[in-house]
Amino acid sequence: MSLRRFSTQTLVVLLVTLVAGCDDRKITAYRAPKDAVAALPAAATGGPNTNDLPPGHPPIGGTPATAPADPNAPMAGAQLPGGAGLPLVAGDNAIVWTAPAHWIAKPAGSIRKGSYTVPGDGGAAADLSVTAVPGDTGGLFANVNRWRGQVGLAPIAESQLQSSLEHLDANGFHIEIVTLAGPGNSLLGAIVPYNGQTWFFKMAGPAAIITREKAGFVEFLRTVKPAQP
Amino acid sequence: MWTVPGTGVALPIFPGGYLIGGLLLLNLVFAHLYRFQLTWRKLGIQLAHAGIILLLVGELLTGLLQQDSYLRLDNGETKSYSESQRGMELAILDQTNPAYDEVVAVPESVLAEKGLIQHPKLPFKILIQGYYPNASMQRREQAPGAAPSIATAGIGTQVAVMPLPITYKTDERNLPAVYAEVLGTEGSLGIWLLSPALGMPQTFSYQNRNFQLTLRPTRYYKPFTVQLLKFTHDKYPGTEIPKNFASRVRVKSDDRQTDREVLIFMNNPLRYGGYTFYQAGFDNNDQTSILQVVRNPGWLIPYVSCIMMGLGLCIQFGFHLTGFIRKRSAA
Repeated sequence: MSLRRFSTQTLVVLLVTLVAGCDDRKITAYRAPKDAVAALPAAATGGPNTNDLPPGHPPIGGTPATAPADPNAPMAGAQLPGGAGLPLVAGDNAIVWTAPAHWIAKPAGSIRKGSYTVPGDGGAAADLSVTAVPGDTGGLFANVNRWRGQVGLAPIAESQLQSSLEHLDANGFHIEIVTLAGPGNSLLGAIVPYNGQTWFFKMAGPAAIITREKAGFVEFLRTVKPAQP
Repeated sequence: MWTVPGTGVALPIFPGGYLIGGLLLLNLVFAHLYRFQLTWRKLGIQLAHAGIILLLVGELLTGLLQQDSYLRLDNGETKSYSESQRGMELAILDQTNPAYDEVVAVPESVLAEKGLIQHPKLPFKILIQGYYPNASMQRREQAPGAAPSIATAGIGTQVAVMPLPITYKTDERNLPAVYAEVLGTEGSLGIWLLSPALGMPQTFSYQNRNFQLTLRPTRYYKPFTVQLLKFTHDKYPGTEIPKNFASRVRVKSDDRQTDREVLIFMNNPLRYGGYTFYQAGFDNNDQTSILQVVRNPGWLIPYVSCIMMGLGLCIQFGFHLTGFIRKRSAA
């Protein structure tokens, strides 16, 4: 009688162990509400060789996919959608800017702080991205050569760096601008160090658009300023 | 653990809680069966020992069944799931329906076997081509010496993966990486690199359905939502010494039976739906509150066993006391 009682107890303990043991190996399927950031309409672009999301990727976070009613409205540099208030950079790091009226705002994301389509003739378009990364990400020289690589240009030597840069002082920022014309695409890049972060403004696309938008890009950079003066 | 050479049998070098607790439990159970007589006079000692057995069983159940997870909420954010601190899962989301996602979640232990994953809800199979329990990522152009990526789709083609040894430090986390090949009926759709370190999920379309692949902390969905209304972090005036952390949250059940506001602070957790929510931490310049979410189905057992032990000891010493008093009055 006592042996039987013991074996029942052992069985219970073993069963519990087995059930619990199986639990962390089980593939589960369920229906879940969409994550707040993924619930926005899909409109992101980005090819497999850009720094962006893969093709067809829905936007991760950001402003609504449609262009805002007033494209001139300043966009907060470090705000995720819906006022959810997950600043990827601390609030006092935020940078704001005013984009030219003809640029079409796209959803930003966890990586992009700002994203625009710059339309050209015949359906062509360039892409403008604003990103912020902690630290200096290898410095000016490494970043210029990284951008040169993206448009298919050979890297330059460090001694050639200064001659390839233009400088712009706006709203207390010292902005370095680089213009790169590659065999395929061209690129306008601006690097803005601010509060321990490096902000990158990059417009990439067909040479015709980049050449035409150069002045507009510089004007756009003049509007870049800290969110809290 | 030490594996017996030539066999797959793992033996512990330093005995852990399960072994010692198990031996203690066996010893007590056998003692109960072998030595104790079922008499009224032994009721107290029986009860006290049964209480200890129950306590040990309760601890075993807690060890096996307790689920610890974390709920990270920004001010104003609402979530219906908590996340594991260490466990990861490969989540395959069918995002075609605009109202909800169909999720198939594969635990990391299955990924580690690098096998073929099939599920009736998935129109394709997933072959795990590579699994690293801990790895760091670098942009490919910053790691010129890295081995070529086996990823053929998504961001993985631009990322170099450097495997790292598994860390056991409490202040470090393992960030696993997986190469997952999606196999449709017509053949491979591509190999994607997945890692929580990438910071973004990967997507593709198949048979007019939109899928998302992501390697994320294991999620535990609940039949209710928790919204962080306000996180407060008080300090003693003039110092950085914390005085109080508190999260005002709103709990709303899916069946609309519950909709209430609760203040969670140190030593004042919220108990709801079988879960206990403790204030565990904060982040993001006090914009984010981190709650520890504990589900322990055996949480009552220690209370019951302590009552049993207390009662048993009272009875046991009660018998002694009455016997002693009787002897004295007789003398």
